[in-house]
Amino acid sequence: MANPAEEFQEKMRVLRVAYAAQLPEKIRQIEEACAGYQSRLDEETLQTLHLMVHSLTGSGATFGFSELSRFARVLEEFLKGIVNQGSPASDVQLTEIQRKIMLVKQATASIEATPAAPPDLMAVSTITDEPSDSKKVFLVEGETDLARELALQLSYFGYQVRVFNQLDAFLQAMKTTRNVLVVTDISFPEDSMGGVNTMRVVQQGRVVPVPVVYLSALDDLTARLEAVRTGGLAYFTKPVIIGDLVDKLDEMTSTIPPEPYRVLIVDDSISLAKYHAAVLEHAGMVVKVVNNPMEMMGPLQEFAPDLILMDVYMPECNGMELAGVVRQLEAFVSTPIVYLSSENDLDKQLSAMSLGGDDFLTKPIRPEHLVSSVTSRIQRSRMLRSFMVRDSLTGLLNHTTIKDYLEREVARAKRQKAPLAYAMIDIDHFKQVNDTYGHPVGDRVIKSLSRLLKQRLRDTDVVGRYGGEEFAVIMSNTDGHAAIKVLDEIRDAFSRLNHLADGKEFSATFSCGIADVALFSDAIKLGDTADRALYEAKHAGRNRVVLATGS
Amino acid sequence: MADKLTRILYVEDEPDIQMVARLALETLGGFTVEVCSSGNEAIARAPVFQPQFILLDVMMPGMDGPETLKMLRGLPQTASTPVAFMTAKVQPNEVAQYKALGAVDVIPKPFDPMTLASRVEDIWARCHG
Repeated sequence: MANPAEEFQEKMRVLRVAYAAQLPEKIRQIEEACAGYQSRLDEETLQTLHLMVHSLTGSGATFGFSELSRFARVLEEFLKGIVNQGSPASDVQLTEIQRKIMLVKQATASIEATPAAPPDLMAVSTITDEPSDSKKVFLVEGETDLARELALQLSYFGYQVRVFNQLDAFLQAMKTTRNVLVVTDISFPEDSMGGVNTMRVVQQGRVVPVPVVYLSALDDLTARLEAVRTGGLAYFTKPVIIGDLVDKLDEMTSTIPPEPYRVLIVDDSISLAKYHAAVLEHAGMVVKVVNNPMEMMGPLQEFAPDLILMDVYMPECNGMELAGVVRQLEAFVSTPIVYLSSENDLDKQLSAMSLGGDDFLTKPIRPEHLVSSVTSRIQRSRMLRSFMVRDSLTGLLNHTTIKDYLEREVARAKRQKAPLAYAMIDIDHFKQVNDTYGHPVGDRVIKSLSRLLKQRLRDTDVVGRYGGEEFAVIMSNTDGHAAIKVLDEIRDAFSRLNHLADGKEFSATFSCGIADVALFSDAIKLGDTADRALYEAKHAGRNRVVLATGS
Repeated sequence: MADKLTRILYVEDEPDIQMVARLALETLGGFTVEVCSSGNEAIARAPVFQPQFILLDVMMPGMDGPETLKMLRGLPQTASTPVAFMTAKVQPNEVAQYKALGAVDVIPKPFDPMTLASRVEDIWARCHG
C-alpha cells in the first residue's frame, strides 16, 4: 500500500463488506428480541432490544449506510420512549415496533441487493462466487479496431468480453449488471474524461465498487488520480501490452484463498501452549505444538512453519539456543522466530534477539495482540519469500522450491501411508514456437498452460515451473491412476486452446510422465521415474500421458 | 510544547464501531490504541496502559460514559488525563453538560473515519495550547 490513507480506505472497504454481510444476522437477533419482549413484556428484554437497535444506528452510520441508520434511529427513539414511560408497551406500540423493524429490514435488504464483492473480498464476505461470471469483462473503448483486437485477445485467456464503443450504451448495461470487470478507456470523442466521468456515475450507491481497469493515452497525474477516485485498480498507458492486462485481470479474478498461516509453538508448558494454539487457530491459522524442545527437529522440517513461537526458558535447552540451531538450517534461515516469555528485563530480551530471534512478546499477552503480531510478521516474511520461491513469469513455484516440496510431501505420504503422484510435464516442440513466433508468444503459451494447471488442479495440488517449458505437479492423496485421468483431461484441454500470433492461430500440446509413490518411495527416485515416463511419452509420439510402471 | 500524543484509551461497547475507530486512529493517526469494551474494563486497564488521552462512548450497557469518567478521575494515573466523549445526541446544552463533567470535548457520532485522527490531534493540541 502506497500511503496510510490508501491503506485505510482499502481496509475500510473490506470491513464495510464484512459488516454488510453480518446485517441479516443482526436483524434476525433484533426480531428475536422483539418476539421475546412481546411474550414476556419485561423491562430487561426491552432494554436489550433498545441497546441492540442503538448499536445498529451507530454502526450503520459509521459504515456509511445512512438509510439503514436513519430507520434504526427512528426505531431507537420509539423504544426509548417506551423505556421511559415506565410501563410495558401497549398493543398499539407493539405493532408499531414491528412495523419499524420491517422498515429497518427493508433498508438492509437494499444493501444486500447491491453487487457482490469482487473476488479479492471473498475471504470476508459470505457471498459465493460464480466462476462463469467472474470472467465477464465489459470493454469500453471508442476506437473500434483496438476494441475488437483487445476483445479477441482477452477471449483467448478465457474472458467473456462484451464491447461497448459508446459510453451511453455501457452506462445502460451497467444498470442491470453485476459481477463484471470493467476495462475502459479514459478519453472518448464526446468527452476527454468520459471514462472516469461515466464510472463515477456507475459507482454511485454501490456498497462494493465495480472493479475497473483504465486504459489511457494520458500519463499525467490528474487522469491517474481521477482513475483511482473512481475505483480504478489499475492504469495502463497505450499501447496496451495484452500480457500485463491479462495478468491484472487474472489477479482480480483469482478466487484461490491464501494458504492458512502455519505456526509452530515450542513451549514446555502444556496448558499455555494449548491456549496460544487455540488463540491462533481461532484466527484461522494452522498450529503445531511441541512441548519437549528436544523433539522439535522432526515437526520443524515436516510442518515447515511460517513462524516459530518459542518460550525462552525450557528444561534441557533454552529458546535462544534452539533459535541458534534453527538458524543453522538453510531452509529456515528466514523463518521468523518470536519469543514468548514473562521476561521483563529489556537487556535480556535484546540479547535473546541477537541470537536469531525476531521479536519478543511478554506473557501474559492479550489474544488479539498475539494474533496481530504473528500475522504481520508472517505477512511480511511470506511476501519476501514469494520473491525467492516463485517463478516470475508464471507465479508458480520455482525449481528449487518444488523440489523441497516434493521431499516434504513424500515424507508425509510415507508416514501417513497416503497415496501421492508426481508428474512432469513438457510442452511439445516448444523451440519451434519460440523460433516461429518469437519469445513473447512462447511466454504466452507457457502462461496459458500454467493458468490451465492452476484452474484444473485442486488447491491441494502443488504446481511448479521446473524450467523453460517444463512443469512439475505434486498431487497428494492421489494415486497414479487417478492422476493420469486428471492430467489427460488437462492435456486434452490444452491441445484445444487456440494461441494467437500475428493474427494467425496455432495450437500446442504437451507430454506428461507420472510416477506413483507406492512404487517409488523416495523423492529422488520418484523424480527420476517421472522424468523417464515423460521421455517415454515423447518417444511414443508426444501429446500423451504416461504412467511409470514398477521396474 | 506538549508531548506528542501516542497512547489513546478508547472505550466503546459496539465491536463494529471499535474496529473502524481503531483502524482510523492507528492507520491514519499512527496512535497506539487500547480498546476497552466496557467502563469496567477501562478502569482495570487504564492504570497499566497509562493513556495520554481517553475517548469515551457515552451510552454503554452497565457503567455508562459519565460514570466511567468519574471512576477514572478517582485513579491517580488518570486523574487529569484529557477525556473526550463520543455520542450520537449532541444538543448544545448537552455538550455543556458533558464539559461540566470534565470532558474536554464531545465528538459526535457517526464520526467521519477519515478525519477522526486529526480531530483527536486538534483536541489534544487545544488541551496543551
